[in-house]
Amino acid sequence: MSRWTRWRQDPLRRAVALLDIDRRHAAGAVGLGVLALGSAIALAAVSAWLIARASQMPPVLTLSVATVAVRAFGISRGVFRYLERLASHAVALRGMASLRTRIYADLAAGRIESVAALRRGDLLARVGADVDTVGDVVVRGLLPAAVATVLGAGSVALICAVHAGTGIALALCLVLAGIVGPWLAARGASTTEKRSAQARSDLAAISLDIIDNAAALTVSGMLETRRKALREADARLAAATDSGARTSGLASAVAVLATGLAVLTALVLAIPSVTNGSLSPVSLAVVVLTPLAVFEITQVLPAAAIQVHRSREAATRIMALLDAAAAGEPAAPDDTVAPPAATSLVASGLVCGWPGQPPTLSGLDLTLTPGRSVALVGPSGTGKTTALLTLAGLIPSRGGSLLLDGRPTARISHDQAAGSVVFTAEDAHVFNTSILENLRVARGSVTEAEAVGVLHRAGLGGWLAQLPEGVHTRLGADASSISGGERRRLLLARALCSPAPILLVDEPAEHLDPVTADALLTDLLTLGKSSLEATTQSQRAVVVATHRLSALAAADEVIVIDSGVVRARGTHAELLAADPAYRQAVAGEDQLV
Amino acid sequence: MKPLDPKLLRYAAPARGYVLLTTAFGIITAALVIAQALLIAAALAPVISDGATLRDVAGRLGWLAAVVAARAVVNGLQERFAHRAATRVVADLREKVVLRAAELGPRWLSSGRGTDVVTLATRGLDDLEPYLVRYLPQLLLAVTVTPAALVVVLGLDWISALIITVTIPLVPLFMILVGQLTQSYSQHRLLVMARLGAQVLDLLAGLATLRAFGREKGPVARVRELGEAYTRSTMSTLRVAFLSGMVLELLTTLSVALVAVGIGLRLVHGDIGLETGLAVLVLAPEVYLPIRQIGVQFHASTDGITAAQRAFDVLDEALPMSGTIPAPDLARTPITFDGLSVVAPGRLAVAPSNLSATIHPGRVVALVGPSGSGKSTAVLALLGLLTPDEGRVRAGDLDLATIDRSTWWSQIAWLPQRSALPPGTVREALAADPLAPPSEEVLARAMRLTGLDDVVAHLPRGLDTALGQGGLGLSVGQRQRVALTAALLGDQPLVVLDEPTAHLDALAEDQVLATINELRVAGRTVLVVAHRPALVALADDVIEVRSASTESMVTS
Repeated sequence: MSRWTRWRQDPLRRAVALLDIDRRHAAGAVGLGVLALGSAIALAAVSAWLIARASQMPPVLTLSVATVAVRAFGISRGVFRYLERLASHAVALRGMASLRTRIYADLAAGRIESVAALRRGDLLARVGADVDTVGDVVVRGLLPAAVATVLGAGSVALICAVHAGTGIALALCLVLAGIVGPWLAARGASTTEKRSAQARSDLAAISLDIIDNAAALTVSGMLETRRKALREADARLAAATDSGARTSGLASAVAVLATGLAVLTALVLAIPSVTNGSLSPVSLAVVVLTPLAVFEITQVLPAAAIQVHRSREAATRIMALLDAAAAGEPAAPDDTVAPPAATSLVASGLVCGWPGQPPTLSGLDLTLTPGRSVALVGPSGTGKTTALLTLAGLIPSRGGSLLLDGRPTARISHDQAAGSVVFTAEDAHVFNTSILENLRVARGSVTEAEAVGVLHRAGLGGWLAQLPEGVHTRLGADASSISGGERRRLLLARALCSPAPILLVDEPAEHLDPVTADALLTDLLTLGKSSLEATTQSQRAVVVATHRLSALAAADEVIVIDSGVVRARGTHAELLAADPAYRQAVAGEDQLV
Repeated sequence: MKPLDPKLLRYAAPARGYVLLTTAFGIITAALVIAQALLIAAALAPVISDGATLRDVAGRLGWLAAVVAARAVVNGLQERFAHRAATRVVADLREKVVLRAAELGPRWLSSGRGTDVVTLATRGLDDLEPYLVRYLPQLLLAVTVTPAALVVVLGLDWISALIITVTIPLVPLFMILVGQLTQSYSQHRLLVMARLGAQVLDLLAGLATLRAFGREKGPVARVRELGEAYTRSTMSTLRVAFLSGMVLELLTTLSVALVAVGIGLRLVHGDIGLETGLAVLVLAPEVYLPIRQIGVQFHASTDGITAAQRAFDVLDEALPMSGTIPAPDLARTPITFDGLSVVAPGRLAVAPSNLSATIHPGRVVALVGPSGSGKSTAVLALLGLLTPDEGRVRAGDLDLATIDRSTWWSQIAWLPQRSALPPGTVREALAADPLAPPSEEVLARAMRLTGLDDVVAHLPRGLDTALGQGGLGLSVGQRQRVALTAALLGDQPLVVLDEPTAHLDALAEDQVLATINELRVAGRTVLVVAHRPALVALADDVIEVRSASTESMVTS
């Protein structure tokens, strides 16, 4: 791979490009940074000149410019530094806003799997943090590096003008402190990171395990083995850190050494020039003392190099997410005119599975027409969810045919399909906003009265009555403030608000007690039959995936899925009569305690 | 918020050695900084004033080279040990926090503190690293280099020392003033920023849901607006927040400038010598350097201090008292709920409310009641994992509160709604006593009863499949079967099953029933939290758990 291609494909470069940074603003920030640190260098240089010249006891008036300049640089440094920090943060923040928008837009248009993956683990929180980390590279990495480059070159030029040898020595020391040191620092940090990654994830897993199962571990006496595991992982982490710390220590030593060397070489090279008269004694003070201030510009560079490395890691994750979302984007559908919402969905010999994985269910035949209710049952992990996602057109079917009002769904745009078929996931998101706004996710025009009606319909009337702010009550982050049962009913209410004639609901009764679960399932299976006055909706088709069977008498048809195929189908009564396993399963849960 | 909390030294042993070492390095650094300044001045002054040659000052340059080398070495060592110590301090605190949280029990963890502790243990405490590696050394340099350099300046030129002495107290004073002015403002702003950031993440989290409704495109504009609002509000915070930094820079740089001008003017009049002047000029910035670095590192360190504070909060939490009396033999002792009431957190309810019942040895007892009536809470009280608000749990005549918990727990096999498995193979998870593993025959029979044989048949290496941390790779239901089999194979007199059918598929209920029967035959006591009728029918005794509203507790 050529250097150029590598550069083109560098995730940090690509991510920084997505920050969409305004060049003039960036140049302004660099300019202010140069003025700020330049003031510090000028302060040192002029002070050195002032003191050396003063020691020759000239008339005080000849020093007046220098004394004013020293005071002025003493003030300007702080002021310019303040302005520079504001300017650079503004550049970074605008960039981060662009990147966030871009991520959202790309994921909204991209493949569903990458969106579904967002919910898993702490990926989402990481996306948030990763955007910040990419933005940080501007403030802590790129801009300081630019300022250091400008000032480093400027200082070398200045010292060269006074005494060439010293200037060249300074340049070499600056390379040591500004390039070798930061390179070592970044290497140390990345060594630590690489070697400690496994230990860190072990630590996180063990900690999570201990907290999650604290009570069980305490009672069973297994806490001690976990403590040992935690200790061992910590010891591995410590060993990994040590290996990187050696390099970091070297980096730190190099930075200090470079400053000292610059002063020392300046003395050694410039003193003979003073002796032979080619350099004035006053200039000697300047070329020796200025470097002490110049190395302030390289002080932030080790941290900058580490930041570049960290931001690259973050950028790699972000770009991988965006690439995954963009890869194999579905071909543009051939329909451009939006037809009215379809009312029938017919699957024959449908094969369902996540893209890139073996199919989990094949041979599904299903006809959905308004008013019809179907239950998909079977043990967990048999592909019920995948089947619903496929029926909703959210993942492509893997075989067989799926027709929406007679047209293959693959040729229908996602927007149109979503207008006809709506899928409510078991873990569907409840937004951190009011109840009403959450319902409006399904349809923007839901009125307050409609919302109240639909909440009653979903069995949330009593709950709503307890809320002082009614439908305007805010629901906290991911509905943490409501119970599991209320949450499921709210998801159901939201599905009911959708104008789509076909509703697909995944495990609506999971983790509810049997009474509540059966009431909810029965409601759900019968609601399609009556038209809903609140939404002026005519009859709907409903498909429910569940592994609770007792309430399925309300379904027109029950489809039993097992080991990737349809094992039996019929009404609840037919299956009870004909299928012993089904009968046994229902008997196990039939009457309620 | 203290810059160096004594609790850190108390709780984290590795921090003590690190602070000592860093202080020692600080003292050496102070000596080297002063030596460097004096040597530079001593090498320069004779050349400028008296036309000395390189040969005349060669000795001083040699010393200077030695000082430079020594500073590099000290700096390198400091950095190297800082990383090392930081990892150890974080590890030490992490272990203490996690174990303390586990000891504090399920009620404490479920009050939202559990997720806090997890965040703290996995990520939060790592924020201590910049604090320990960057901030703390500067703090210690500020109490070593700064005063030492100042004393030397005083010895050289008292007027410069006076300027510095006057400005140094101004630095923290202005920082505090500016800080107080900005604090309330910043806190409000930080809240706004956090909310804006959370809204974007909320939209991303709900993207799958939005797509299901075909409404994912609209919020793009919203995300853009939120981003702009975030930028605006952050910038207005920064405009104020950076003020303290500006004050710091202004004061320190300006006073160095004033020192330089002062020296210059006195040199002209011959009041001080050039060597003195140069030494003060080089030393003056060094006096301020640690203070300035503290300012630079301050924001990076606050997260670390906050994380440490949160860790201390957990560690300061009082542990529930454990008794000292050894538990009686549960194979012969009845356990009694004696007017047990527990206030449900966050709800205006008592669940269970005034529960009185006895569990007799050798019987199968079902705990029934609607969702939220306090069945699982009653089990936690029986296990001694939470303290009842009213009433008590007794074993025979002994109050559970007086009993040594470890002797209590060793007699109980408990299957919570989610089981934890020890790391290792399935076989190891099943063996109660690794020294006396059950025979293959007993094992096979137990696995057949619980349906674990089916699960094991599908595992790549059968019984010898490693389960990974916390039984990862097995579903909740499969883990339940492993735990159920282990309970069956164990010898604890009391087996407590919490909703054993909740995660199994309905078909597997007969397996649970068979297992309970087997336990009964073995003469073991079974307490089962039951929803399903089949389980209740199987029980010898049924205990009904009821909840009540909080008012009833006041009157009772």
